[in-house]
Order: sequence, then C-alpha cells, then structure tokens
Amino acid sequence: MLNALKRLGIGFLLWGVTGAGFSDVVVVMSAQSPSTSINREELADIYLGRLNQLPNGAQVIPLDQTERSPLYEEFYQGYLGRTPAQIKAHWSRLIFTGRGQPPQSVPDDKAMIEAIANNPRAIGYIDSENVSENLRVLNIE
Amino acid sequence: MSLTIITLPRHAIIACLVAAMAPFATAQTTEPSPLRLDGFGTLGVVHSNEERADFVSSLLVPEGAGFSNQWSVKVDSKLGLQVSTDASSTVSGVVQVIFEQQYDGSYSPELEWANLNLNLSQDLELRAGRMVLPSFMTSEYRKVGYANATSRPPPEVYQLVPVSNIDGLSLLYRSRLDQATNTLQLVYGGKTVKAPSFEVEADNALTLANTLEWRALTVFASYTNTRLTIDAFDNLFNAYSAFGPAGEAIAQQFDIDDKRFEIMTLGGRYDTGDWFILGEWARNRSRTLVGDTRGWYLTGGYRFGPVTPYLTLARRNFYGMTSHPGLDIPQARPLNALLNEILADAAIQTRVAVGLRWDFAHSIALKMQYEHINLGAGSEGVLANDQPGFEPGGTVGLFSATLDFVF
Repeated sequence: MLNALKRLGIGFLLWGVTGAGFSDVVVVMSAQSPSTSINREELADIYLGRLNQLPNGAQVIPLDQTERSPLYEEFYQGYLGRTPAQIKAHWSRLIFTGRGQPPQSVPDDKAMIEAIANNPRAIGYIDSENVSENLRVLNIE
Repeated sequence: MSLTIITLPRHAIIACLVAAMAPFATAQTTEPSPLRLDGFGTLGVVHSNEERADFVSSLLVPEGAGFSNQWSVKVDSKLGLQVSTDASSTVSGVVQVIFEQQYDGSYSPELEWANLNLNLSQDLELRAGRMVLPSFMTSEYRKVGYANATSRPPPEVYQLVPVSNIDGLSLLYRSRLDQATNTLQLVYGGKTVKAPSFEVEADNALTLANTLEWRALTVFASYTNTRLTIDAFDNLFNAYSAFGPAGEAIAQQFDIDDKRFEIMTLGGRYDTGDWFILGEWARNRSRTLVGDTRGWYLTGGYRFGPVTPYLTLARRNFYGMTSHPGLDIPQARPLNALLNEILADAAIQTRVAVGLRWDFAHSIALKMQYEHINLGAGSEGVLANDQPGFEPGGTVGLFSATLDFVF
C-alpha cells in the first residue's frame, strides 16, 4: 500500500513537471486515412494482437517505438495501462506457439512518421511535438 | 491413429522443417527478417523439507527436490529455442526445441513444436505437425516461466495432463463479437510419451478449446476425449486375467488399456494491469484406476510497479475408488494387496503459495515462492519417488527461486 501511495506521489510529481502527464504521446495515422478517432479498447486490442481491423472494416497495421524508448513506456502505460514488462509477458504467451508476433518497431519518431504518412493502414504513436501535416492525430474515445 | 511423425528421429524433423522454411528466408528479400529466433528459459532452484520423497515438476521425470536433492535445480530449469516465420503470412511455420529434464534424466533436446500453419482466411487457420495440446488455459506457454504468474503451472491442474504437445492437425477459428475476441480451436492427433518406468500412449485425441477475451477478462473452456494406454500395470492385470472371468473383470475395470479418457477444464483471468486474478478448474474421468480426479487453483496478485506479490490457493482431490476387495482366492492375495496399494495412492492435497515476482530488468524476472502443502489423509499428493519411512498425509514446505527470461 505504501508503495502504491509512493508511486501515486511520483506520478503526481511527474504530472506537475510535464504539465500534461501522458498526453505527450499521441496516436497517429496517415492524413490519407479516413479514420479520425479510435476507441481506447480497440486501440488496446490492436496493440495486443487481438484485432487487425478498424470498425469500418479497414485492415490496420500497428507500429511500435523501440521497446526501451520512453515513448514506448509512456504509450503502453498511458493508453493501455500496462508496463513494458507486462507487454513483454503478453507477447511471450503468443510468440512461443507461433500464434502471433509483436508489432514491428521503428527506431524513432522520424521513421514512424515516414512509415505512417505513406501507409493509410498503419497506426502508430509519436511525441505530440513532432506531429506533421501528413499525419492525423486520432481522438481517443 | 498414431501419426508417423513421432517415429522419426527428432533431429530429422528439425532438419526437414528448417529446410521447408528455407524458401521463405530467401523469397522476400525486402522484408527485414523473415525468420525469427526467439528463446525463453528458467534458472531455478527448489528446496523441499520432505527428504523421503521428491517434489517434481512433471510425472514424466525421474528427479526432483527433497529426496534426490534437497536443493534441486532440475525442477524448473529449462531452455527453449524457437525458429518461426512471419505468423501473418499465408504459410508460416514454427519449430521449438526445449532442453529440460527428460524421462531418462538427460537434458537432450526435445522437439516441443514443429508445425506448418496455413491461413485459410483472415479468421481461419489450419495447422499440421507437432503442436500445443490446449487442455488448459495456459497450455500454450506452460513452460515459459516469464509469461506465467507463479513459479510453475499449478500441479493440482497441470499434472492431470503431463503432456504439453500432440502430433496431428488443428483448426483455429477467430471471431470478433462486438468488442470481444473469440478463439475456437479443434485439435486431433495422438502422442506417445515416455516416463521413467512406463509409457503413456494417447490415440484419437480430440480437443475442443475456446478462449474468449473481452477487455481485462479472459474466459477459457476445453474438452478432451482420447483413448489412453499406460503400460505400467500390465503385469498386474495380466496376472488377474489368468484367474479367469472374475479376474478379467477386475482387469477390465481398472487397467488403462485403450480406455476412453476425458478431460474438462474451465478457467478465467481478470487482469486490470494493476492487479490480476486467475484460476482454473479441471477434471479427468475414465473407467480405470485413475478414476475421477479434480483440481483447481486460484491465484491473485497486485503489481507495485516492478514488484508483484501473489497468493495461490489450490486443491486436488480424487473421487474414484481407493480400495477394492479384489479376488477372493488365496493365491490372488499378493495381487489384491498391490491393487489396493495403487488405488490408495491417490493424489490429494491442498496447497497455499505466497510469492513475489520482481521484473528487475528488461526481459528478465526473479520469482521467489514459498508453498505449504497439506497432503490428504494417506496420500503423497503430487510427490513422487517416496522412500521407505515416508509418511503420507503430512505437510511439505517448498521454497523456490527462479530467474525467468525471454530473448
């Protein structure tokens, strides 16, 4: 319990410092994509390998930042409520039967933007400061 | 129907599969890495305070903690290596080899999976070869310590079916029901496995397993029906049969010789991210001396950042016959004594485990677990290798420390 309180305390501190908590990371698709928003549960299912299409039926390909990057941790913690270790354990359950593999990862925001801008099916996440006009930031419902 | 693949030397199978996958490695040069190499492993040590019997991880191994070694590294330690191709392409394949304690005490590599997968459509997959036998909720990763909450799968349930794979065919159908994902799997095949002093043969094994995932909730159910043969009791029942019809009736009632064997499992998991609870109930049933065995466990944990304390409650019980009058003939007395000894040897126990998982570094976790087992009256529970002087029905304390990793 003590740890939980401490963690909460640290969370508040970070929140105070950055002023916006986890909202620094935004979920993006190509500006060519018709999608403007996504449900939080659908986003989680896409990144956990349970769902490979959007509600409109269009196929979707999730892209990851590298596992050890701060963006990776912020995305999974902020949008899925899972730590990188939990995500690793999740994929260990699927990888070792050949049932699934984690999203392909890109080295940084620049590579993420390039990969997404040219592919209307790709979905990813980047630092909000790096959003360019060929991307669309999705509203999370 | 035993598929021929089990009679091939395992190295030949690996060679064939790697060769079969080779074209995928060169066909798409634009893809960054068409072949994936993954691995997992556990370095573990277990201490038991019962020196006259072994705590083992499986019924199929000769040594464990307690009698063989007070501190045993053989219970949980293992290494798994896997080569797979892109699971999302039309044809994919996976080969997994595991190094762990074998029935003969060696650590020779065992071919855990070797199958080809054909995506018939976006929702339907056909698989052929050696693959997972999905009797339980965590069957697919029961040997991947890193993916499991506790030090090892709860023996009360997982020792009901000691084999983890099967040679055959499977169909997997995935569907989306509103916001839930449903996975229905049908597996057909057979498998022969060796234990230290006997062989277990499962033929015509049919398993139906269903997994429903909705947000934080997973619900699992499975049913297996197989013809089972265990040759450990051949001498006893051949001797009974020699006494004529009355003896044959006893052999027919208890022998495990091509008998129908059913396994039913229900399970669930609720994982919010901060805390989780998971549990399974399973039952096996047959008209043999294994009778009707039921087991369940419940594990809950709370994650304080990288540290996750957890608690497990588990129970295993036996509902079959634990004694029988045998044949009322003086010459049959030794047989009757042996039969009753076997019948009385039912695995009954209650277990409480407390543990701590610490995800202290990337892809590696340390687990420490203490468990207290209350053996049922007259039972040795899931212990094996009981020695002269072992007193059934007592209590056992176990301490385990494991390092689980994936790469």
